[in-house]
Amino acid sequence: MKIATFAKHVPISAVTPKIAHSLDRIEDANLAHEVNETDLYAIEEAVHQRSLHQGNVVAITIGGPRAKEALHVAYARGVDQAIHVLDETHRGTNSVLSTAAAAAVVKDMNCDAIFVGIQADDDLQGKFGIALAESLDLPVVTAVTEISFDPQNKRAKVIRELGAGFKEELEVDLPCVFTIQFGIRPVRYLPVMAVVKARTKKIDTLPIDSLNLSVDSQSAAQLRVLELSLPVSRGLCEMIDAPPPDAMKQLVATLVQRGVI
Amino acid sequence: MSKSNVIIVCEAGVGQTESANASLIAAGAKLARSRGGRVIALLIGNQIAEVAAELSRYGVEVRLADSPQHADYAAAVYLNELRKLLEEVDPGAVLFSHTYLGMDLAPRLAVKLSVAFASNCIDLEIENGSVRFARPMYRGRLIAKVALDSIPLVATMQQSGAKPELSNEPGVVTRIDASAGSDMRVRAIRTIVPKSSGVDIAKADIVVSGGRGLGEQKNYALIEELAAAIGGVAACSRPLVDMGWLTVSSQVGLSGKTVKPKLYLACGISGAVEHVYGMKEAGLIVAINKDPEAPIFKTADIGVIGDILEMIPELTAQVKSARQ
Repeated sequence: MKIATFAKHVPISAVTPKIAHSLDRIEDANLAHEVNETDLYAIEEAVHQRSLHQGNVVAITIGGPRAKEALHVAYARGVDQAIHVLDETHRGTNSVLSTAAAAAVVKDMNCDAIFVGIQADDDLQGKFGIALAESLDLPVVTAVTEISFDPQNKRAKVIRELGAGFKEELEVDLPCVFTIQFGIRPVRYLPVMAVVKARTKKIDTLPIDSLNLSVDSQSAAQLRVLELSLPVSRGLCEMIDAPPPDAMKQLVATLVQRGVI
Repeated sequence: MSKSNVIIVCEAGVGQTESANASLIAAGAKLARSRGGRVIALLIGNQIAEVAAELSRYGVEVRLADSPQHADYAAAVYLNELRKLLEEVDPGAVLFSHTYLGMDLAPRLAVKLSVAFASNCIDLEIENGSVRFARPMYRGRLIAKVALDSIPLVATMQQSGAKPELSNEPGVVTRIDASAGSDMRVRAIRTIVPKSSGVDIAKADIVVSGGRGLGEQKNYALIEELAAAIGGVAACSRPLVDMGWLTVSSQVGLSGKTVKPKLYLACGISGAVEHVYGMKEAGLIVAINKDPEAPIFKTADIGVIGDILEMIPELTAQVKSARQ
């Protein structure tokens, strides 16, 4: 069975990005990046499914030059092949272009399944997998937490989340796009040396222009960020910064005073 | 006037709350009013006539498909009905709640219509006749004011707690027969109901919630001890359920439960957007986290910077002596 899995290289989630002077984007030149978290879960699931059904997992990233690091991580986690669509202008942040590029790369691969994380940590849109499926005229299931493939009969049973703890079981025809939810299976601990070794593995680099995409990257079919700002607090957050005994004494006093305990 | 109407996709299935529909009506009404248009709701499910009646009290026209065949969620049914409704109503906007259903349907609709889409919007404002949405980006660490340059506007809206106005004239509820159309490549088999642990965290006055900051499963006992000492219930954020420490019935957030206790203690929880969703309407929110930049401090009323493994046992001891 053949699975393509997309891995987006995004600013690390542990820090607040600096807002650029123009206010409509972040300053990301010196910002550390990492693989989008749900794309990591997607890679783990793809590699797991390959171990059950044999076959091949190809990881794909669409981004600037440093996005190849996402593919080093994918290789370290066990994928068989890696493709880097090199997008020096938009670095993977133009949704219309990225969808078109993804479709162009995948359309002749004869995949049984295409995996994408449910949403990207940078734009939080959750649209990429759905747009890709539509582009390829494939079915798509979102928020997937369990998959059981039947490649011979070109079908799969899927469990997806509905919220509030409820889930839904579905049957889908293959090929299908699956947007993968957090926790589908554990993300394995990766020793640093595994990623270092993975840097020697071959990555197929495709400049985005070589795909001859006939899309308008300025298309109105994508959201336009006007201004970024820090979140406004819900109210004033009274901060306590003291060693545990004093901090907790202050906290308890406040809670008693406010009548909650 | 064309493009003045607003379609809202309401919900009455599993995991939905009244306040999701209420804040969607408020947002839709705000937009429709600014354009002199109407709000038309699509509602699909089984045994949901009361929900339809409730929506109509706000002056919303309701297109209701109510039948056992709609007991399970099927995107194809919604998309087919939306296609017909869009032709009839010619809306300027189609709004969804930011729920799993909205997150599944809204991008599908936007892609089919080749229009822009904004997910997880906190609010919409009308500035000089143009609509602006506020939404989180970068894991909620930044807020973006965004524009959608295509029509209809398609967005999912967070629950805001906004209460819409009741109307003197209830909206008309029209029953429709909804169907999936011809695409049967994805077939719903059944809805899986979560196992209840017996304690409904949504009913508690005090919730003590633990997150990834606990490090190891054995440390969750600290949360349970604090909950017992303070007279509350123990809960958690998603990662603890993903790691198998607890079941989803203990989870607070978009995939779990929405809680509105008088006191919510977030211990070692970073404050991801999906978690905050489930607790932001708590009366008093206290966050303990060693990361001073953790997004949770934007939602909390009281913040303590420190290691929860040191803070929580100390808090438990202090609470016990305060309550004696």
